[in-house]
Amino acid sequence: MNSIPWMFLLPSIFGAVLAGFACSAMGNFVVRMNLSSIGYCMSHAAFAGAAFGLLITVDPMLTAVLFAIITALVLGPIAEKARLENNIVIGFMFSFMIALAFIFLYAKPGEAATGKALSILWGSLFSVDFNDVILLSVLSFILLLFIIIFYKELLSVMFNRKMAESSGVNTRIFYFAVLFFTGFAVALSLKIVGGLLVFALIINPTSTSYQFFYDFKKIMIFSPVFGILSCLVGFYFSWIYDFPIGASIVIVSALLFAISIILSPKRKKGKRKQKK
Amino acid sequence: MKDNQNVIDLKEISTIYEGEKIPVIKNINLQVKTGEFISIIGPNGAGKTTLLESINGLLDFQKGKAFVFGKKIDRNKTAIRKHIGYVIQNFELDPLAPFLCKDIVMSGRTGKIGLLRFPTKKDWEIVWQSMSLVGMIDFAKRPIGKLSGGEFQKIILARALAQQPRILLLDEPLSNLDISSKKQIETLLNRIHEKYKITIVMVSHDLTNVPANCNRIIVLDKGQIIMDDNKKKILKSENIEQIFKNDENRRI
Repeated sequence: MNSIPWMFLLPSIFGAVLAGFACSAMGNFVVRMNLSSIGYCMSHAAFAGAAFGLLITVDPMLTAVLFAIITALVLGPIAEKARLENNIVIGFMFSFMIALAFIFLYAKPGEAATGKALSILWGSLFSVDFNDVILLSVLSFILLLFIIIFYKELLSVMFNRKMAESSGVNTRIFYFAVLFFTGFAVALSLKIVGGLLVFALIINPTSTSYQFFYDFKKIMIFSPVFGILSCLVGFYFSWIYDFPIGASIVIVSALLFAISIILSPKRKKGKRKQKK
Repeated sequence: MKDNQNVIDLKEISTIYEGEKIPVIKNINLQVKTGEFISIIGPNGAGKTTLLESINGLLDFQKGKAFVFGKKIDRNKTAIRKHIGYVIQNFELDPLAPFLCKDIVMSGRTGKIGLLRFPTKKDWEIVWQSMSLVGMIDFAKRPIGKLSGGEFQKIILARALAQQPRILLLDEPLSNLDISSKKQIETLLNRIHEKYKITIVMVSHDLTNVPANCNRIIVLDKGQIIMDDNKKKILKSENIEQIFKNDENRRI
């Protein structure tokens, strides 16, 4: 067990809670709008961006945010215009971004094996500073406002984009807003969870929440609860057993998902009906 | 707008899909008066859905001029759509879809309520009224994915009605339903037409699916309007049988 006083961990704890909130709040939309492949690419774009930051000795967080947002802005229109299959987007962008990241890390051999570089891959408990917490707080607040103010539009788009469009909703704005905010959430959570695992924090809490509720409002409320819980428990295990923080958070969230499948009332009801 | 004015006015409309060379619908001229109930029938692939979605601007047309409520469709898409209810063709819904029926019906009002506004008590009253009209008020808190085909179709219809539309566009609202559900939806459409005097444009590939209140039939084949007359004349016509026979042969 680490012997660092708890006080020093406060930014990390707040960071973990906020990352859990931001990622899982966006996860609600990403999962429902079938954008998982696009978000998946974004987490790797953020990783490539961070590696690029190390290469040009700029704050990796800044370049990660830039890469993720540029990907969000470019990918949305490309996927929409070219009507690409999700698998093609994954195959193309994922490999492209990972290749970029490796080239950036390779171009600076000294940096590749340093803790700073690895922390982009795995996440780090101590890399979160006060500024990160401020940024994550601002993002979380904006996300909360976005969800509350545009809830009716978001729900409409998520049920069926074409039907939402047909009743007078400009669905493209909301589609891009979701991509944009997902890019932000991924990039800002990168330091804690790591580029290779951050997307699990988007998918897992929402998938867990889906197992329990049919009401989208409840899913919207509970997936951040599961996200924050995963981050806090993951953080605790990382602290006690010295696990890598990202892996620890993702394993907790995956376990929560596994448990939710077993306990899911949705599945129990189905079984009863089948017996009839 | 005067009552006798054309609520839908399409002039020489042609719509081509991306990557295609031949238009799906060609030189369509269609005028629909306020309060009319028309059926667009034709075999599969005749361009019925394309025509419907050219009316509410979901599809862009490449040639011609089109007006709804006297406004150009291509320039006023979003504004026009707020007054057009659209029931899209049956789509597969995930049985675990996390939406309650009442929220889906309310989502029909999203455009009408407008940005930065929250649904008011009055909006909810309209939702309850629409659900009552289609006989689905008891399903308000049920998950949408758990409904049968007929129940689902009624909720989608209630969603369109909650919009308080001036035009109702229905794309094959009776397909994939059992006989009793078909009858129920048909009766509902007649009742809606009588009660609200809404202009209804309904698409169907089946000659037997023409509701009683429908007074005009438009026959579409290979992207063109080949007949446009009152219901009795069209249903008695020999040509119509030929068109549908050809379609069956094509499918065989």
